[in-house]
Amino acid sequence: MKIKNATGLVVPLLSILLAFIIGGIIMAALGANPLEAMQYLIKGSFGTVNALGNTLNKATPLIYCGLCACFAYKCGVFNLGGEGQFLCGAMTACVVALLLGEKGVEGWLICLLCLILGTIAGGIWGFIPGILKITRGQNEMIISIMLNYVATLFMGVIYTNWMRDASVPQTLQVPQADRLGRIFPRLRFTWGFAIAVAVGILMWIFLFKTSAGFKIRAVGYNMTASRFNGFPVKKLMFVSFIVSGAVAGLGGAAELMGTQFRLINGFGAGYGFDGVAMALIGQLNPLATILVAVFFAALRVGSTSMQAATGVPTSVSDIIQALVIIFTVAGLALVKLPEFEAFRLRLTSGKKEA
Amino acid sequence: MAEILRMEGISKRFGNFYANKNINLSIEEGEVHTLLGENGAGKSTLMNILIGLYQPTEGKIFFKGKEVHIESPDHAARLGIGMVHQHFMLVKAMTVFENIILGEKHSKGLFINREARRKEIIELSERYGLDIELDKLITDLAVGAQQRVEILKALYHGAELLVLDEPSAALTDTEVEGLFAIMRKLTSEGKSIIFISHKMREVLHISDRITILRLGEVVTTVNRGDVDGQQLADMMIGRELKPSHYEKKVVPHDPVVELKSVDFSKDNKHNGLNGVSLAVNKGEILGIAGVDGNGQTQLAQVIAGVITPDAGTVDLGGNKIQIFDPNDFINKGVAHIPEDRNLQGLVGDMTIADNLVLKETENPRFSGGIFLKQGVINQYAKDMIQKYDIRCQGYDQDVRSLSGGNQQKVILAREIESEPDLLIAVHPTRGLDIGAADFVHEQMIKARAENVGILLISADFDEILEMSDRILVIFEGQIMGEFSGKNPPIEEISLAMTGNRKGGRA
Amino acid sequence: MDSSFISNLILATVRMAVPLIFIATAELYSERAGMVNIGLEGLAAIGSLVGFLMCYITGSAWIGILCGALAGILVNMIYAFATVTLCANHTVYGMAINIFAPALASFINRIYFGAGSQLNQIKLMDTVNIPKLKDIVFIGTLIFNQTPMVYLAFALVIFTSIFFNRTKAGLNYKAVGEHPKAAATLGIPVIRIKYLSCVICGALCGIGGAYLTTCYSNTFTEGNIAGRGFIGLAAVIFGRWSAVGVMLACLFFGFCDALQIRLQVMSIGIPYQFFQMIPYVATIIVLSILGGKKSGPAAKGQPYRPEER
Repeated sequence: MKIKNATGLVVPLLSILLAFIIGGIIMAALGANPLEAMQYLIKGSFGTVNALGNTLNKATPLIYCGLCACFAYKCGVFNLGGEGQFLCGAMTACVVALLLGEKGVEGWLICLLCLILGTIAGGIWGFIPGILKITRGQNEMIISIMLNYVATLFMGVIYTNWMRDASVPQTLQVPQADRLGRIFPRLRFTWGFAIAVAVGILMWIFLFKTSAGFKIRAVGYNMTASRFNGFPVKKLMFVSFIVSGAVAGLGGAAELMGTQFRLINGFGAGYGFDGVAMALIGQLNPLATILVAVFFAALRVGSTSMQAATGVPTSVSDIIQALVIIFTVAGLALVKLPEFEAFRLRLTSGKKEA
Repeated sequence: MAEILRMEGISKRFGNFYANKNINLSIEEGEVHTLLGENGAGKSTLMNILIGLYQPTEGKIFFKGKEVHIESPDHAARLGIGMVHQHFMLVKAMTVFENIILGEKHSKGLFINREARRKEIIELSERYGLDIELDKLITDLAVGAQQRVEILKALYHGAELLVLDEPSAALTDTEVEGLFAIMRKLTSEGKSIIFISHKMREVLHISDRITILRLGEVVTTVNRGDVDGQQLADMMIGRELKPSHYEKKVVPHDPVVELKSVDFSKDNKHNGLNGVSLAVNKGEILGIAGVDGNGQTQLAQVIAGVITPDAGTVDLGGNKIQIFDPNDFINKGVAHIPEDRNLQGLVGDMTIADNLVLKETENPRFSGGIFLKQGVINQYAKDMIQKYDIRCQGYDQDVRSLSGGNQQKVILAREIESEPDLLIAVHPTRGLDIGAADFVHEQMIKARAENVGILLISADFDEILEMSDRILVIFEGQIMGEFSGKNPPIEEISLAMTGNRKGGRA
Repeated sequence: MDSSFISNLILATVRMAVPLIFIATAELYSERAGMVNIGLEGLAAIGSLVGFLMCYITGSAWIGILCGALAGILVNMIYAFATVTLCANHTVYGMAINIFAPALASFINRIYFGAGSQLNQIKLMDTVNIPKLKDIVFIGTLIFNQTPMVYLAFALVIFTSIFFNRTKAGLNYKAVGEHPKAAATLGIPVIRIKYLSCVICGALCGIGGAYLTTCYSNTFTEGNIAGRGFIGLAAVIFGRWSAVGVMLACLFFGFCDALQIRLQVMSIGIPYQFFQMIPYVATIIVLSILGGKKSGPAAKGQPYRPEER
């Protein structure tokens, strides 16, 4: 009955199919058997309990960043600063855990504290572009991107300078007792994944089931109508920027406390844009975004075993991901064109007559 | 005099609807030929055909004796047909000079030969008395000057037949005088002009011949000297007073909203309000009659709290409004059927159910504090779909995919069910078929019976006559007069709509 | 601070500004036709890699630059098709390009060079070496001892300025970004110009990226664009959509970059990352001071559909 939902599902699936076909052609061109390579891709990501654990572990930070982008865009603000907000969360968590660790204070309460402070830090990093947007009418995209670089560099200050681990440019690891544990000992993913999924579900509930979420969605779809209908448009945009940043901040903290344990060069690099990609493919639905994140993670994890077994380099999977976003966004634009609507109607009416 | 343009048997059909039907029009060299008609009489469609934006379904066009198939505005310009659109086609961030030479093809070379082009333009402007400073930005020009730029641009591109679409709508009286002087100068130099206007006084003043359009067909073509304003208005409106379906009420003065001397960018005759005072009483329908773009948009938005007036006061339920905030107005019982339903009224990507409760998300009936009561909302939506006869696939269909009439019913349901004290309905039946329009009217009458004060703003004169208990006429942001809705004096009202105060200048 | 500090600073400013000038001018051409392309970062990335690769293969930096431009054009045609023909949202699709193009670049890089790709180096483009003149103190190096790309960048600014302000084609081009409907009624081919703008934008971005690998650093590293695409966007806003203004903005950002390098070298005790932040923080501050009042081409970012017949 619901045409929108149908195209919303068909477009990304077709895009994925198309991306895999092109990926297969590339694999063949590189001298591998595409079917075999893809078998390894799937096996390597979901084939064993271990692989599944790795995939979900890899998916965890992606989910947070995807949800971060998702929430902001749902309210019509383009937060491209997910990466910076992610890093702010991670840095805060790391610094707090290490400083307290030096004093011998550790334990799960510290972990909780780190997650909370990381969330706040991310929120603050989202506050800056948010406030500049609503008070100065600033381009939130450029500002938030610039803040990504600032955050990355600041992280550099921490791991090369302030909290450097002797000669190696990295920080010490956070104390064992602070860390997020695994849910199932045999599977590599941690409670960070569970929290991410919980955040996604909460976000979905908030956006689609509560009156505040209702207003945020309305603003994102149609700002003018929202104003005419009495919604505080600017306030809602500002709040979504902060919440969006907070989600990424929580992600950064969880990634640090659960998987990486220390700040090091390359921490979180690229997650911001990955998040944007996943939110767009997931069409700003938090639950769909989680699925897309798992899919992306599977590609990344599976590609390692693919490389080991067939020699197809891992970066083929990156190209497949990139193609998915290119196709999905174009496809979603295509189905909105009036010509496409007319074409579809012709098809369906033709069927009825036949 | 020779004929420059002949349109023969022109029809234009959109779906099953004829916007133009078998229109014959002949324009002679050196004449000002007025097209007179109400909104929707088919003037714009006809002119869009003439300048190549639409292709006629049937009919032929002869320009300077030769049959032509006009494919695009560019093509029309090359033939020698220039149009000055009501909404100017000028690039605001460019200078007058740049706008005029934009797209010109008759000179060679890569670079703009400023000296040569300037000379040509200045020659033209002096010849026709179009006094313009070439180096000013369009943004810095008054509307009248912008219009002269448009005329000069058309002439520069070789226009011999000029279409002026409501050129006086946004001008001051002195600017109108200037425009007329230019028009006379143009015709004395052999140019021909098609003049589109509603303003009777101007039409009688400047036209050589007048063609009246009604419902897509030509009523007649007359010479100016042969008719007076009253006859023209009769032909244009073309109706005897039909008894209204609805009983007209006279209610005591008990205003739900009262405006006193409200100004909003009052120097802007097109989109401003100038000293507007009015009151909508409980249980009455106050109709605002007027041609589009005389301040109706602003009037509605002031009363809905969307824009803040520059001066004057607005009292809602006896309390003076301090801060203009739509939410506050909604809470004080103001409902609004806005002008542009897709842009202002609905969130197209949300469902019918969502749009029905758009203003009610804090209402305990639909929201338990934090969570929406989706079950209640859905049931409510089902009820509303029944009650308001919204034709759809289900309450969870996106409103974007509904027809215009059903979209309007969603808004109507939402606004009326909010049990308002005041309902602002702006062009509530625009673009709707007769069935849907009647339904909207029925609902408004029902609301009136429940003591709602209704402000009906419409450019559809029939609608105003049919529905209103009292009628105010708005013209260039001013109220021109008040008329009874019972046995309304059609002639007087239609004259007021074209800028004549009751018993004033004719 | 001695005079060599200042002269080095000025020299570095010019060199750092050059890629920005290409990238920002690319956006200028784009926005002047109403196309807001935030995919500059990605376009520059692919240009950078292809430029490096072709230079590596052929040994000619010029071929590298040329191929970088071609790569930029090719990738930007995807953007053009999606936004002009399919009416996709400019911002969303620009983001898609920002994700796609760097992935493509790193893919090609890894496929071609395998692991350890950072080790491959190329010979940078030679500087124009005018004997005698280049030996004049400071001025000699500044004006007579640069790579041709530096001269090209400034020539591009002059050309762009003349094009938009003095030529008929430039005037028509600008009208497309300001009021496409009006342009169409005057017979200006709106859709064609929009596509053309994407060709120019892709080419210039590609060149800007290729400059980084063939004239600035002699190797390709992922992430080497380092936000220049977005700083380029900011430069267009800062430069108020005029070629000369954009150049000045790029020189300013180039100066920030040059300054941070100089300061890094000089200072002891302050972590160098704080200096590296300067260009980014400067961008934020400049934008915040400017405020976001509606400016630039009036119809930028809006889809254009020819009038229904």
